[in-house]
Amino acid sequence: MRFEREIRNVIGRRIRTLGILVAAATLTLGVPVVEAAPSGEVKIGLAAEPNTFDPHLTVGRNTQIFVVNVYDGLTARDAQGHLVPALAESWKRLNPTTWQFALRRGVKFHNGDDFNADSVKFTLDRAINPETKATIGSELSTIAGTEIVDPYTVNVITKGPDYLLPVRLGELFGLMLSPKHTAAVGKEGIAIKPNGTGPFKLVAWTKNEQLVLEANEQYWRGAPKVKRIVVRPILEDAARIAALQTGEVDLIAPVPHARIAELQRNNRLVIKTIPAPRIFHVTIDVRKPPFDNVKVRQALNHALDVNAIVKTLYFGHATRLATVVDRGALGYDASIPPYPYDPARAKALLAEAGFPNGFETEFDSFTGSIADHAKPAEAIAGYLRKIGVNVKQNVFEFSAFGPRRVQNKTAPLFIYSIGNAYLEPSWVIRWLTQGGLGMHYKNARLDEMLTRIEATDDPKKRAPLYGDVQKLIKDEAPFIFLFQADAVFGMSTRIDYAPRPDETQWLYPLALRP
Amino acid sequence: MRAYVATRLAAAVFVVVGVSLVSFLLTFLSGDPAEIMLPPGATAEQIARFRAEWGFDDPLPVQYWRFLRRAVHGDFGVSLRHGQPSLPLIAARLPATFQLTVTAMVLAIVVAVPLGVLAATHRGGPIDLAAMGVALLGQSVPNFWLAIMMILVFAVSWRILPTSGRGGPLHVVMPALAIAINLMALLTRLVRSTMIEVLAEDYVRTGRAKGLREVMVTARHALPNALIPLVTVIGLQFGFILGGAVVIETIFTWPGVGLFTIQAILNRDYPVVQAAVFILATGVVIINLIVDLLYVWLDPRIRVR
Repeated sequence: MRFEREIRNVIGRRIRTLGILVAAATLTLGVPVVEAAPSGEVKIGLAAEPNTFDPHLTVGRNTQIFVVNVYDGLTARDAQGHLVPALAESWKRLNPTTWQFALRRGVKFHNGDDFNADSVKFTLDRAINPETKATIGSELSTIAGTEIVDPYTVNVITKGPDYLLPVRLGELFGLMLSPKHTAAVGKEGIAIKPNGTGPFKLVAWTKNEQLVLEANEQYWRGAPKVKRIVVRPILEDAARIAALQTGEVDLIAPVPHARIAELQRNNRLVIKTIPAPRIFHVTIDVRKPPFDNVKVRQALNHALDVNAIVKTLYFGHATRLATVVDRGALGYDASIPPYPYDPARAKALLAEAGFPNGFETEFDSFTGSIADHAKPAEAIAGYLRKIGVNVKQNVFEFSAFGPRRVQNKTAPLFIYSIGNAYLEPSWVIRWLTQGGLGMHYKNARLDEMLTRIEATDDPKKRAPLYGDVQKLIKDEAPFIFLFQADAVFGMSTRIDYAPRPDETQWLYPLALRP
Repeated sequence: MRAYVATRLAAAVFVVVGVSLVSFLLTFLSGDPAEIMLPPGATAEQIARFRAEWGFDDPLPVQYWRFLRRAVHGDFGVSLRHGQPSLPLIAARLPATFQLTVTAMVLAIVVAVPLGVLAATHRGGPIDLAAMGVALLGQSVPNFWLAIMMILVFAVSWRILPTSGRGGPLHVVMPALAIAINLMALLTRLVRSTMIEVLAEDYVRTGRAKGLREVMVTARHALPNALIPLVTVIGLQFGFILGGAVVIETIFTWPGVGLFTIQAILNRDYPVVQAAVFILATGVVIINLIVDLLYVWLDPRIRVR
């Protein structure tokens, strides 16, 4: 016993000496030194908890925006939403189908394993292996394989040219696993015992009760400021707000828009809003008359007072969009005005199209998805009836609507929203014009424009090319263009937290106020 | 007696298999989980491939047979959503469910029985009126509204109870009250009406005639005879609350079986739904058996045949 203790003391002393030496070396080399050790505890109440910590089997955006706290991608986003290096320090396209990533050195997984090219190859091979049955497989389906060039350089080969690959390998779908740990704990183990390189370690998790994160003091960006974060799922809005009001939790998301004004009056709380990249729109089945007539589609856009919807349903905490490109997306063109609310013009357009008395049609909406679609749908139906478009409304549970959409069994009009996960309009527009899954608009010119954009690697050169795309989509009006709603966070004055523009609940910058 | 229990348990197997078949068909008829599990960016081919990988494109009888073959060995499959074996996932939620159900039951019974008896013995008087008023209120107040009001009063304004979640003994108070209130009202009315009936029986008059104190008449002679319908209702309600406290479990994020099951249903997480149905159906069958055995104990005239 005593011998053991002595050994430990000796080792302890040596580690301390080593620590001092390393610290001295870092100081002399001018590398920034971690300021203070993480301290304190912050409690968070969220509407949903992750379904798993296996990054390849995540289901739903609520999981994908959270698990990043224990992992890192090859790339990341900064506070403004720009793509920045993470586990990859740089990347370039060697040829149309090969991206090369230069990896960061000296990064360790929580259990001490080294992060290197093996980890990247293992992770991406696992993601595209059919045996993994990856739920996010669709997001990485362009990958053909991964080649190790040297321990800190990998080439990712894509099936065709993929301009989005560095974004795909970011915080939503490119989280890196440790090969040894993943093999050791197995598929069921990784779901609850993640081992990432991220700023926090998962130390406890009781589903539907709470999960506990602890600071990774060896984090390569520097240790996080908060030592311990307790996350509680609180499903009911009223209960979640009550928990914030009573100080049971310090941070909640989301806060219903209707409660913002009331909570803002409480001087012990801070409400922060940020436009979320979720694009609300009504999809029009352009194959079915009378919607094959562009005048009818434009009439529908003139019929809606979207500003009034933003004001009354979202209490002003939403942004009117002219097309399906959101304000935070690359190449958003603010000079394109939305369709003005003009019921007289709408009726005139309908008359020109041969429907002076309007027509009857059906309109699908649903409840129970990540955002409220039923209330805006109600308002939209009201506006459409005013110009003589008598819509019969069908309201589904989201899990029942999903299969209808996939099997192309929707009504000619249905409300939907798409999260612009990559902050890249082309990705959204490609999805919205895929010619299936309920979305039937196709346009050869648009296709050509997008193909040209996708061949351009440099985002700065890509951005201006989106102007014409937005003009074309607006004129063609294959959708009723709506808005993007704000994501709303409620927090106590005890903490400092700035929500990110890409929906990610990135807790690394979270801090306690002095 | 032993043969009776054995027959009932054997019948229970058929009940549980029957319930599982019906729930299996119902969940499948409402669509498969591929669309819900994949990101919105998934294309039609990707959805089809995913369906094939998981075997969702096999004919229903094949899928049900596959399920049954594993279930016999206690293997309900791995949760599609959680990536964990589904039976232990549900089992881990049982303590929370029992805690909530039993607390609500005890609360309801402790209030309802004395209140019902008092109302019956003071029929038409102010106590009766007050008790019936409380019962009327308890039955007509929607429990989700009551739950949110309690959060605002007890947690936000007075700060004497936690807002939601499960932790110390205080956490169970509001959810249990929210569930108990309807049940309490129902039981109070039931106890009152059966007590009034029983109090009019000949043997009660005989008891009074031979000079027994009113308390003895009520507590020793009348009450036990009024309990049988009460036990029936409590048994049925217990089974109902076990799986049916979903609304209250959701409002308070009470991590019980009901909440977990409803999430599984909405996410088409079949293995979890099946495991939950199995456990809940078994639980209800066992509770019904216990209720039947309680009859025998409460009323010696009832014989097991």
